Amino acid sequence: MANPICEVSNTLRFLSERISSGGLSHPRSRHWTEELLKLMGDVAWGRGGPEHWNVMEHLGRQMAEEGPDEACVEIGRKVLAALSDHKEAFISHIETHICPTGECVKLAPAPCQMACPAGIDVPSYLTLIGLGRDAEAIELIREDNPFPWVCGLVCTNPCEFMCVRGRMDDPIAIKYLKGFAAERAMSEMRYRNPEPAPDNGKKVCIIGAGPAGMTAAYYLALKGYRVTIIEALPVPGGMMMVGIPRYRLPREVIDRESGMIESLGVEFRYNTRLGKDVSLEQLREEGFDAFLVALGAHSAYKLLIPGEDDFPQVINAIDFLRRVSLGDRHMPGRRVVIVGGGNVAIDAARTCIRLGCEDVTIAYRRTRSEMPAHEEEVVQAEEEGVRFSFLTVPKEIRGSDGRVTALQCLRAELGQPDEKGRRRPVPVKDSDHLLRVDAVISAIGQVVDSTGLTTLENLKWSKRSTISVNTVTMETSVEGVFAAGDVVTGPATVVEAIGGGKKAAEAIDRYLQGIPQPKMPQVPVRRRRLECLEVPASTKMILQRPHMSLLNTDRRRITFQQVELGYLENAVREEARRCLRCDICRRCGLCVEICRDKMGIDALQLGYLDFDRPSPTDFRTTAERCIACGACAANCPNEAIVIKDQDGQRCLSLCGTFLIRLNLEYCEKCGAVLGPARYHDYIAKRTQVVTPFVQGHALCVRCARKMAAERHTDILQA
Amino acid sequence: MAFRRGQKVEVYRKSDDESWEDYMNHFIGFHGIVTDPDTAKNDPGALIEVSLNEKGTHRLPQDCLRILEGQSS
Repeated sequence: MANPICEVSNTLRFLSERISSGGLSHPRSRHWTEELLKLMGDVAWGRGGPEHWNVMEHLGRQMAEEGPDEACVEIGRKVLAALSDHKEAFISHIETHICPTGECVKLAPAPCQMACPAGIDVPSYLTLIGLGRDAEAIELIREDNPFPWVCGLVCTNPCEFMCVRGRMDDPIAIKYLKGFAAERAMSEMRYRNPEPAPDNGKKVCIIGAGPAGMTAAYYLALKGYRVTIIEALPVPGGMMMVGIPRYRLPREVIDRESGMIESLGVEFRYNTRLGKDVSLEQLREEGFDAFLVALGAHSAYKLLIPGEDDFPQVINAIDFLRRVSLGDRHMPGRRVVIVGGGNVAIDAARTCIRLGCEDVTIAYRRTRSEMPAHEEEVVQAEEEGVRFSFLTVPKEIRGSDGRVTALQCLRAELGQPDEKGRRRPVPVKDSDHLLRVDAVISAIGQVVDSTGLTTLENLKWSKRSTISVNTVTMETSVEGVFAAGDVVTGPATVVEAIGGGKKAAEAIDRYLQGIPQPKMPQVPVRRRRLECLEVPASTKMILQRPHMSLLNTDRRRITFQQVELGYLENAVREEARRCLRCDICRRCGLCVEICRDKMGIDALQLGYLDFDRPSPTDFRTTAERCIACGACAANCPNEAIVIKDQDGQRCLSLCGTFLIRLNLEYCEKCGAVLGPARYHDYIAKRTQVVTPFVQGHALCVRCARKMAAERHTDILQA
Repeated sequence: MAFRRGQKVEVYRKSDDESWEDYMNHFIGFHGIVTDPDTAKNDPGALIEVSLNEKGTHRLPQDCLRILEGQSS
């Protein structure tokens, strides 16, 4: 018979308990135990390589033989014993990434957490927000992402795309709830840093104070490293500060969250551009042990059309947004055309409106449905007065006396889809026309400015002009140099940069501690296992995602005030109750199968269980059909479905959603609990042939047998 | 642009792109949702962000992905 206990998770638990017990008073004991925990975590999550076994064994022996105190020696011995007694189990985790008992899989994160590039434990923080514990929620989020407030406003929320509730109606408003909690915690002065580890004497230099760089700085500082950030701009934030307009992300939000990082002792050197104000050699001479390159993608592609370099009124969107962010509030022209169809084009256009431009047009060479910009951004731009000229291809910028007067364009039509399914715009013959403008802003893409990195001779670059890294560890081709953020991915999202920065911090720590690097991407860590919020089935079905209120359009056209006004507190608490707690229900469907196929009841209508083809879900139908037999709960592998008797009722709940409450019946003879009448009837129907005597009586099995036996005696005596 | 935000896709083969890494072989056959189809520059060769069911969010080359017919999130 297979061992029902996974020795890997067992050892993981043991190490974790020893650390959290506070019994490891000697720093070396604690350090070695934490290293072992980290390695064991890799193995448990299928991220271990062949070196893990050797290092764990070596570390275990070191602790057993050289441990500075009894606790350390004991831990070393226990780990060595586990490794030796259950070698197959560990090898299975390392070589096949399979946990033979399935216990490690039991801790699988929810789809929202898996989808988050930063790996935030979404169900846990939503539950905390539902309970009104906002500061705790922020503390939990910051275990994986030091920018909950920024992400609460501008995250592209991949979590919501994977949200299982979205298969029923609308996904949980995860982003907005995070933003609310961060704002509340900050406002109540309860947004605090955790206690950092003591100084370990090692120095790390980070180039770029954007989301990737600052995230890495935060986690490295917490681990006791001395971190210095070199930043070309006079402010922190990188693209968050100079690429995202203030009406989407107020500067105060970035200032406050980067201030939290600075307060951990991270040194920021502003106005210091790599390759110009300081060289890598100079930085090496300062004694840094590792480097992280996170300088973003701040250069722009050119339009490559005549006239582009002839007029000062032709600018690129990145430079324009940077200038405005840093305080230059002059409009680029009265009539402006922005070329491009992505989010940056929309940001530039909406910024122009706020600066007072009278006529703002976005010229895009395909149609609206091909625009890569987010639909909600496009709609808001339209509301503010931005005009769109689709199927428009710029041909030449015209002007006189050193000023732009027009953009000459061609009309286009979409051709047949190519082999990749893309319909290319084909210019229409003789369709030349002029857009009368006095400024042109190009927004056709960003690229990494590699100027400061040319001295790193062995640094490998991709064909996309980004730094080539091992994306599991963010290691570059140069020893001791790591890279993260847009400089690796090309222009991407804030949360991806944060995820990259976190990975890099972890890898730098391993590199400097001599711990092997993982082979597979890190599986997000579940931070808590909280009790579910209790919600009646009908409420769970009726609650709807709240609508986000927006600033009125007139004010949006003239100020940089935040457009999204945020949720009211009641809406936030209610929204958290819609969460299905997929960290607990793994959607294996065993409950549905048992109820339908084994019991013949079919009381669970949980169509959301299927990712590809979800069918309707209605928690309320359970109350109509369920007999409260408990077969679903008994077979649930993760205790997501719970059945319990309380206050004279039998209650069945799924992750806190009360599906049914039925009054209990009791044995007429001895008073034992029989279950609800429906259950009793179900049993009686199926056993009436063998127990005809109990008809009409509510009896437990024991009393029914006793009664049947007495009747038999009567019959025999007669 | 071939991919739209919210589309359901399948990783149906190994990519020929240099950005394909060995661990991504485990993704073949998995379904997911496009979460960021190159919102910045509309480049036919761009890596796009896909959230794979149970496998996390990754930037993947477009040639390993195909749209699942009639599927959107």
